[in-house]
Amino acid sequence: MITTVTIFIPLLGALLMLLLPEEFEERRVRAIAAAVAAVPLALTLYIYFVYRQDLGAPALTQDTTWVSALNIGYRVGLDGIGFGMFLLTALLTLIAVVAAWDVRRNLRQYFALLFVAEVGMLGVFAAQDLVLFYVFFELTLLPMYLLVGAWGDENRRAAAIKFFLYTFLGSTIMLAGFLAFGILAGSFSFSALEGGGGLSRVAQVAVAAPIVLGLLIKVPAVPLHGWLLDVYLSSPTSTNVLLSGVLPKLGTYGLLRVAIPLLPQGVHPFLPYIAILAVINILYGAFVGFMQQDLKALVSYSSLATLGFILLGASAVNAVGYNGAVLQQFTHGLYSALLFLVVGIFQARTGTRKIPELGGLVGRMPWAASLFAVGSLAAMGLPGLAVFSSEFMTLLGGYDAHPVQGILAALGIITGAFYFLYMLARVIFGPIKNPAYEAIQDATPLEMTAIFPLVALLVLLGFFPGLLVVVQHHAVQSVLTVIGGG
Amino acid sequence: MPYSAEALFALLPELIGAVFLLVVLMVGVFLPGSVRVVGGLAAAGAAAVFAVAMWMFASGFHGTFFGGGYVVDGFALYFKLLVAGCAFFVVVACLGWAWSAGDATEYLVLILSVMFGATLLVSMRDLFGVFLALELSTIPSYALVAFDRRRRESSEGAMKYIITGAVASSVLLYGIVLIYGTTGSASLPDVAKTFSGPQQPAALLGLLLLISGFAFKVSAAPFHFWTPDAYQGAPATTAAFISVAPKMATFAVLLRVLTEGAPGEAPVWTAVLAVIAIVTMFAGNLPALRQTNVRRMLAYSSVAHSGYVLTAFAAWQGGARAEAVQAVMIYAVAYAVMNLGAFLVVDIVGEEAKSFNGLVRTRPGLAASMFVFMAALVGIPPLSGFWGKLWVILSGAGSGSVLTYVTVGALVVSTVISVPYYFGIVRGMLFEEPVSSEVVKKGEPAGLRLAVHALAFLTLIFFVGIAPLSAVARAAGML
Repeated sequence: MITTVTIFIPLLGALLMLLLPEEFEERRVRAIAAAVAAVPLALTLYIYFVYRQDLGAPALTQDTTWVSALNIGYRVGLDGIGFGMFLLTALLTLIAVVAAWDVRRNLRQYFALLFVAEVGMLGVFAAQDLVLFYVFFELTLLPMYLLVGAWGDENRRAAAIKFFLYTFLGSTIMLAGFLAFGILAGSFSFSALEGGGGLSRVAQVAVAAPIVLGLLIKVPAVPLHGWLLDVYLSSPTSTNVLLSGVLPKLGTYGLLRVAIPLLPQGVHPFLPYIAILAVINILYGAFVGFMQQDLKALVSYSSLATLGFILLGASAVNAVGYNGAVLQQFTHGLYSALLFLVVGIFQARTGTRKIPELGGLVGRMPWAASLFAVGSLAAMGLPGLAVFSSEFMTLLGGYDAHPVQGILAALGIITGAFYFLYMLARVIFGPIKNPAYEAIQDATPLEMTAIFPLVALLVLLGFFPGLLVVVQHHAVQSVLTVIGGG
Repeated sequence: MPYSAEALFALLPELIGAVFLLVVLMVGVFLPGSVRVVGGLAAAGAAAVFAVAMWMFASGFHGTFFGGGYVVDGFALYFKLLVAGCAFFVVVACLGWAWSAGDATEYLVLILSVMFGATLLVSMRDLFGVFLALELSTIPSYALVAFDRRRRESSEGAMKYIITGAVASSVLLYGIVLIYGTTGSASLPDVAKTFSGPQQPAALLGLLLLISGFAFKVSAAPFHFWTPDAYQGAPATTAAFISVAPKMATFAVLLRVLTEGAPGEAPVWTAVLAVIAIVTMFAGNLPALRQTNVRRMLAYSSVAHSGYVLTAFAAWQGGARAEAVQAVMIYAVAYAVMNLGAFLVVDIVGEEAKSFNGLVRTRPGLAASMFVFMAALVGIPPLSGFWGKLWVILSGAGSGSVLTYVTVGALVVSTVISVPYYFGIVRGMLFEEPVSSEVVKKGEPAGLRLAVHALAFLTLIFFVGIAPLSAVARAAGML
């Protein structure tokens, strides 16, 4: 029950936002929204402290018949693989609400949509039924489309429709696979389907193909990433936090928690190719990121690279790689949210995102610049910050399973470090390029409030990755057992 | 005892509909200037038919009457409920129009006539009865399309509709006669015996002609050309109504005719309908992409949706018969709420795509409702359209026939094709500047606004009702 309550509380929040009177003061709207967003986070933390040892198999489950004719159930529950993302969603939504300082128009509607998107995202990570998973998966689509399309920059309309078309196409393809799978196996419940649901190897491959393809579009894996840059560039900062922090994880989580455990034999033939796509993501993200003049584009491409590491770890299907991939989903959410937030601050102060026009910011806004440096160092995989352990694990696991891909992927770390350092040198160090920057103000306490938890978690998980691994480890083990026995 | 009291009871929904029809007509004629009374009576009539059908459904009343030509079963009552519900919403939407008393009476009488014909239609189990009831629901539709005499498009659309409709009726009747000629009976159980015996080429030809006639009526390709003109020309409430209520009733009776009358020829007609479904989906969705007139676009979209329903028909052959019937039933309701709503919004806002621009700023509530309808028509969960499509896909996937798989594949592909045109409206509403502020000023009747928001609400919360609705459909769908 607590799972269901956590998922749907934001929906009440959305209704509340719409019911608030028009003339309500903006500050109070923000405060109420933050209070609403804090509830799912509090509940999730409660689950962490009380149940974290029990999440090896789906716990806190609820199984209600929904459409009995089709054997579709409202089945939700949390396990170690979903829980991290559940926590991340609740956290990043709160941060996105706090960080919505650049949203001036129609604030109540903005928050309402953010909350509807949160329902979808939380739901995906708790769903234990294929159709329910799809329903939640799609539930994120409309609010995100509206958030980008209505509150983004001047290119927002094209970006929003592109995003919508790509991901709708992807999820429709995925749905086709889901339905075929459910019909052949006679159930849509994860627990009934685990290990292939009794399907033959050929049938598994046939239904896994569309599912994997759909999920790869959502990630996005590189040849399917056409929607990503436009959307990331056009979004308001606080939407970016969710768009880069949580949304791609719907795809990777789908691979880690749905496609691989439910269709182990079906996904198996695709794994080497997923590993190749992972390497392409890593190297393409690094090289193209290096060439960007736009700071936000650079951060977006670095996301692409990090998602590659998650794919690599997933494709390894061994304990270390899988654990790394699950963990990396979380750590990427932290640092990408951090980077997008600071880029938003930079842009708000200087009026530009062009790397050559920035420079010397550390002198004028030491706090923001330092936090940006922390985020960048985390993105490079510096030991002591959270990304290091997860990235290292994905590489280790990836090398074990696919040596060639593993070695090539390791190159990505070097290139990534190189272009992040080069970027830092140009953006926050060096001489001030524009005399107008002399007068700009550092990050405000409010902005720091939004950013600081991310930094704290990056450091905390950097030193104690076990805090999360302890939750996910048993779930990963049980997935690997299923695969091994499948 | 064919003319027992029970038989009259079986006819109760139609009788009530007819009584209200006459009362509305009388009141309109003898009490001129009573627009409100006439409207209220018409709404009460639709509500009464709905209530009676509901009561009969709940009490489990069923049986065949009048020599087996008229049947009351869960399936028939389900569609009677649907038709009466649609009529109710449309009548409510018409309440408060600033039209003359005479016009209001005529219009509402025609709506009630269509409702009368359609409720009768879904109970027919005799081919000639089917034909008569079908005409009974179609002919008032012609008049409804032509109703707006001041607009040239209205008469033009009606003209096209009447001519193709007449041709369709002749084709249909010709088919029925061929079947009757070989069978010696027009009653569906007798027809079924003929089709399960040795192949009768004449009867088979009759069946194909019958399907063609029905294809006209439900605007399935390649007989759909009247649809955009008729829907564009018709008053918007008309387009809303005839694109849903009589059409879904026609689908229902077609399903009955084919499954009860020709189960033996199922491999033939499912194959034919599969091909028709594929062509229809693309013939609807592709031209819709180019439309700048929203009504025309919605007309093409309704063609596409006919294709989706026919996909479920095609799935009947094979392992998922019950699911196929349920799919048609659930799709009908899902489609009714979203499509009625979309057309009614067009009635308020205007038919040019441009008039939707910036609607979110001028009329946020209306824009929100339209957004729900558009997203539902695309088939995005958890809105109603998704569940309709889901059922169709699942029944198709369970049918075990390759052609049906192809049809389901076409459904998925054409769904993706349909995204740009539905979202073109959304995009205009949300992201473009308003062209003029006329829409704001236009004081549409409160009933229309109420109907739109109620339908949007139903579309939005469809997923809550899907479990009971599917249970009802399962209980009712015993074809």
